Amino acid sequence: MIRCDQLTKVYRRGGTEVRSLDVLDLEVQEGEFVSIRGPSGCGKTTLLLALGGMLHPTSGNVIVAGEDLYRLDAKRRAQVRSETIGFVFQMFHLIPYLNVLENVLLASGTSPADAALKRAKDLLTRFGMGPRLEHTPSELSAGERQRTAIARALLNKPKLVLADEPTGNLDPENTEEVFLRLSEFHKAGGTVIVVSHGSAAEKFSDRVIPMCAGKIVVSS
Amino acid sequence: MGKEAGVISTLHLILKEALHRKVNFVLSLSVVMITVALFVTYLTTAEASKRETTRVTRDMGFNLRIIPKETDMDLFWTAGFSEGTMSEETVQRFASYEGVFLSYNHLVAVLQKRFSLQGKDVILTGVSPAITAPNQKKQPMGFEIKAGDLHVGFQVADRLKLKRGDTLELGGHSFKIERAMVESGTEEDIRVYGRLSDVQRILGLEGKINEIKAIDCLCLTADQDPLRALRSELDKALPEAKVIQMRTIADARAKQRQTAERYFGFMSPLLLMVCAGWVCVLAVLNVRERRSEIGVLRALGHGSWRIAGLFLGRALLIGAGAALLGYGLGAALAHNVGPDIFKVTAKAIKVETALLGWSLVAAPAFSALASFVPAMLAVAHDPAVSLRAD
Repeated sequence: MIRCDQLTKVYRRGGTEVRSLDVLDLEVQEGEFVSIRGPSGCGKTTLLLALGGMLHPTSGNVIVAGEDLYRLDAKRRAQVRSETIGFVFQMFHLIPYLNVLENVLLASGTSPADAALKRAKDLLTRFGMGPRLEHTPSELSAGERQRTAIARALLNKPKLVLADEPTGNLDPENTEEVFLRLSEFHKAGGTVIVVSHGSAAEKFSDRVIPMCAGKIVVSS
Repeated sequence: MGKEAGVISTLHLILKEALHRKVNFVLSLSVVMITVALFVTYLTTAEASKRETTRVTRDMGFNLRIIPKETDMDLFWTAGFSEGTMSEETVQRFASYEGVFLSYNHLVAVLQKRFSLQGKDVILTGVSPAITAPNQKKQPMGFEIKAGDLHVGFQVADRLKLKRGDTLELGGHSFKIERAMVESGTEEDIRVYGRLSDVQRILGLEGKINEIKAIDCLCLTADQDPLRALRSELDKALPEAKVIQMRTIADARAKQRQTAERYFGFMSPLLLMVCAGWVCVLAVLNVRERRSEIGVLRALGHGSWRIAGLFLGRALLIGAGAALLGYGLGAALAHNVGPDIFKVTAKAIKVETALLGWSLVAAPAFSALASFVPAMLAVAHDPAVSLRAD
């Protein structure tokens, strides 16, 4: 599903080179639930954004579903993101002026309108957000916001979900809820990569990859 | 929800965002609206302003004196008028000369001579109706004297105890006093004005004039040497005459007009720059505030056109709203405040519906142009920066 070779990301800050990703090779099979774990600042989010076609690496390749992301032009890369990848963020990143349903529909891309609407409503109802469709993010609890964000990530039936600290702002009950939703997607054949500094994701994961200072320590 | 069409349109996002971030939207709208309103007010009252300026400068009097070429200038300045005469048809010939109204306007044939009236000299002055450019809509300047009427200067009226409606014997003819003029503090106070034909008859100079008064249309200041152009024109049209320009009045007229034009020429770009600056700053703030939104839109696969469309579309919406509101405000200002400023020419303040069309084209284009750089900043914004900022 995903393969990256010799991936590096180097930033320059005040004349100093910071290697956020350091010659990193990684392969994730289709249908895997992978948890990447490491301390804050070790490059987990950088890796996730690079895997999602959101952050151009300094060197190396990222191949997602057979597409070498950074050899594609920006338009095609955006299309791959829209059709293949769903993102879930720690801060939810819901659009504050759209209601729950609109936030989910924002991911509909080129899907037929009626089908997208039906799927959005189905997903939100399944996630317990049925009575909240017209509510804006500011009217939701943190758990509800993240469930909305997961529904948005799943709207286009992606092959891959990339989740960046998806439970970082949630209590244990909602943490469990979020991983259950991601686990459902995984059991349905989807690939999930979660980056986290905690261990909550591990019991749902097929594999845990520890990361430190931009490098994968060992792939277990 | 209003937008259950599956795909959320750019317009829907723009409208919702505008309602959400009201302060930024309203401030941006207000800046453009005020600019539109000021232009609409200015342009709606421009004709009245122009006419008012014309009246102000007109009230300064004629600034060109066309006199017979052989006039002895020492005697002319001593007497205040030319001792020589020209045929009355000279003024018609001059008026019919091609292109004369590009340089001269409001031609008035004058005959003036000293005349003894009840023991003292007055300057008896006959004036013809003014001749203006054939296609000129403006009213002829100054007053027009009917046959049989006289306008008497303050000193004459005071000495002879004349008032409006009295009669006065002059050269064996009886005239009605149409107007007793207010004190001017000039030789006007010892003038008696009559219809040119009446004065010619009294003086026994039928068909004769000794001056054509006019106003120059060049509106050049002394350093721009308008006399050379005026004399060159006159030499071709009336070789038997010469022209004297009353510089103080001419300069005042020219400066009055040039100042108004320069003021508008200076203020317009300044106003536009200030407005563009504000719109740009507010748009940049909007982009900064929405960085994570841009990031998430990118993550959801929305392309650069969509991002640019969100910000430029917002700018177009601001411009269109500002055009409508600004036009309404500007027109209302022009009609409510304009008549207080331009009391005499208030009738020239009319609804200019064409300005609404222009506003609806110019304001959105201007707003979009001012927001172009911020929109490009949004397009170029690295989504990873805001998404990683967690």
